[in-house]
Amino acid sequence: MTVAPHPALSANLATPTQAPAQRDDAPIELSTLRLPTPPVPPDTCVIDVAQLFLDANYAGLLSLPIVAADGAPVGMISRYELMRVFLQPYGRELFGRRPISVLMNHAPLVLSVETSIGDAARAIAQHIRSPITDDFVLVENGRYVGTALVLDVLRAVEGRLADRSTELERAYVRLKSSQAQLVQSEKMASLGQMVAGLVHEINTPLGYVRNNVEMTRGVLADASQLIVAQQAALDALLGGDVVADAQARLDEVETLRLRVDPAALDDTAALLDDTLHGVGQIGDLVINLKDFSRLDQAGAQKADLNHLVASALKIANHILRKRGIEVVHQPGELPPVECAPAQINQVLLNLLTNAAQAIEHERGRIVVATRAVEGRAMVLIQDNGKGIAAENQARIFDPFFTTKPVGEGTGMGLAISRQIIEQHGGAIRMTSSVGQGTRFVVVLPLRAVVREAA
Amino acid sequence: MSDALPCVLFVDDEERILRSLRMLFRGRAEILATTSGREAVELVRSHRVHVVVSDQRMPGMTGVDVLREVAACSPPTMRILLTGYADLDAMTASVNEGEIYRFVEKPWDAQRLIATVEQAARIAMDEFDAQASRGAEPMAAKPAVTAERAAAHVLVLDEDGAIAAQVRELLPPAVAVTRAGDLESALEALATQNVAVMIAQLSSADGDVADALKQLKRLRPAMLAIVLSSLRDSRLLLGLINEGQVFRFLLQPPPRELLRRALIAALERHEALRTQTRLLRRHDVEAPARAPAATISARVLGAWRRLREATVARIA
Ligand SMILES: Nc1ncnc2c1ncn2[C@@H]1O[C@H](COP(=O)(O)OP(=O)(O)O)[C@@H](O)[C@H]1O
Ligand SMILES: [Mg+2]
Repeated sequence: MTVAPHPALSANLATPTQAPAQRDDAPIELSTLRLPTPPVPPDTCVIDVAQLFLDANYAGLLSLPIVAADGAPVGMISRYELMRVFLQPYGRELFGRRPISVLMNHAPLVLSVETSIGDAARAIAQHIRSPITDDFVLVENGRYVGTALVLDVLRAVEGRLADRSTELERAYVRLKSSQAQLVQSEKMASLGQMVAGLVHEINTPLGYVRNNVEMTRGVLADASQLIVAQQAALDALLGGDVVADAQARLDEVETLRLRVDPAALDDTAALLDDTLHGVGQIGDLVINLKDFSRLDQAGAQKADLNHLVASALKIANHILRKRGIEVVHQPGELPPVECAPAQINQVLLNLLTNAAQAIEHERGRIVVATRAVEGRAMVLIQDNGKGIAAENQARIFDPFFTTKPVGEGTGMGLAISRQIIEQHGGAIRMTSSVGQGTRFVVVLPLRAVVREAA
Repeated sequence: MSDALPCVLFVDDEERILRSLRMLFRGRAEILATTSGREAVELVRSHRVHVVVSDQRMPGMTGVDVLREVAACSPPTMRILLTGYADLDAMTASVNEGEIYRFVEKPWDAQRLIATVEQAARIAMDEFDAQASRGAEPMAAKPAVTAERAAAHVLVLDEDGAIAAQVRELLPPAVAVTRAGDLESALEALATQNVAVMIAQLSSADGDVADALKQLKRLRPAMLAIVLSSLRDSRLLLGLINEGQVFRFLLQPPPRELLRRALIAALERHEALRTQTRLLRRHDVEAPARAPAATISARVLGAWRRLREATVARIA
């Protein structure tokens, strides 16, 4: 494996002694940055490792430590590498069942917990590749004791560098964003698709609202001029002005009256109705978006599941409408459900998007129903799309499993959805027949224990 | 005939948009409007429509689908896309398949939209008139392969020469292909040679090349530009359409067959423009929203001056 030192990092990190303030700080050891990441045995199969990346224990990590039975670290496997492999044609088929040791990096950076931060930074600078895809392993007397994040080391160093060069800052930003990017890739992919639709959805009413207001302003300006002129003419007539003067004023009224198109005045009412409708629509969208974007609000609260469904339908509206799909919404009586609303929203949106994407004909129909069954709430989403082939049915919840082209499918939608529902103590089930359609059923307990994702 | 109102067709799946546009154009045009792409195409077949203004995202047929069919069944009709959002793929298709005149974003500026549509309508009315007076001869008749066409000149602006080599191999030997490694030498080549088609590789969105293409379209309206880029930047493409009337926009690396077809289409269009100068107006451009980069080097400026002089000399 080639190791190309990152020029920006090696230039700045190799000489931290230039920082005069360094002496003030007690030397920090890597042990302060240790994360007790559970190690992964080298014979774990690739699919199971992909699953682990979704586990709360490993959230935020770029790579997982692979440790032999005797406690010796033997490698690391990065999210980046897994994604790369899964995105290759047949990558999943070729590698899915093989042990992770065939994909892992056999020469990860391994440092003793007693290493000082400065020395660690130097080692990282020697070892690092761009883009940064790996964290590193901590050992004590050669045995695995945990991992640490490159990001944390940089942060610690950064705090001590009086001479904070812009170069370092840039590397830090880059790293932070690549880390966030990998962890959030699924969220981003669905967000990207959604943003396009929402922008269109907002700009359409904005288009006629703006135009209508502009036109109404023109009509009103003409009309108010006419009123002023009429008043003046009236005053002239009643005030017994000279006849010629009154005639001139009447002529002016006549010219103005020709300019004010009576049809335009009549239409103004319709224009204003449309305008109010448009403003209402934009307002609705904004409220729904606000509900939706509270993704980090993980705590449980009592929520109206029917309201969540309605809000998801609104957000997915552009995808559904674009494909001319008929939506049959059948909300049933439901008691409040204790859940993390933003997460449930994400699940509903995933299911609706999948259903819409599965419909390739013009008689598209999606039924969305809710029901209360034996102290549990149930959401059913059924489409008349192309269905799921028998050989794929067992795999659709696997991370990275997708039948869609690169760029359209990430294969993470259902994996994340199942994780969310299971964290709520609920279940998600699918039945499908090829050519007929697919039905997903989500069941949630009314009182859920929401386990917070770390 | 010439003081009759032009016929403008609006296509949008939101009726309120149609109502609003209807009112904006009242008294300025004879207006047709529909929420269905299919019906829009039917209307163009059955009426003499001068301008079609269509939304992009609609159920059933997309705007690009509509404009593509309009281009095929009524070539003189001018085509405008008016949309709240178009991804780069839709925009690319609107250039390559719909050969659109303008791309306008919602919410629109009323006065500018009126000016744009009226300008398009004038061009289309002239075209319909010319067509009527010369009989049934269709506008896009394939020009015969004349000696001039065989001697057509193609200029390729790319840094490493790979594209130029590919272009050379795709075109018959009679077509001259010149490569320029940078903007300055491209401008020099343009000053001395009668270039029919320019192929330019765009590697940065705000570089001189995009600006130069826009300026060149005003200076040499008959020259057609094929832009190759790996930048998925819809702002860039928007500028290239409205201010540069880019003829084709291909994502890099372009499939061989796509590039070949783009080259042939450009050579044919150039020939049509050369022999029927009236058609040049269909490619007229908006004033750039932004002054060309102030960073242009003195050498490039010098090349520009020589090119302008050469152009003036040729016209005189
Ligand atoms: N409603 C559905 N109809 C048909 N196939 C589906 C449906 N929902 C999911 N799938 C299949 O499951 C796969 C995985 O879905 P998902 O995890 O959401 O990832 P993605 O949508 O990115 O492919 C899809 O690629 C598709 O093959
Ligand atoms: Mg999905």
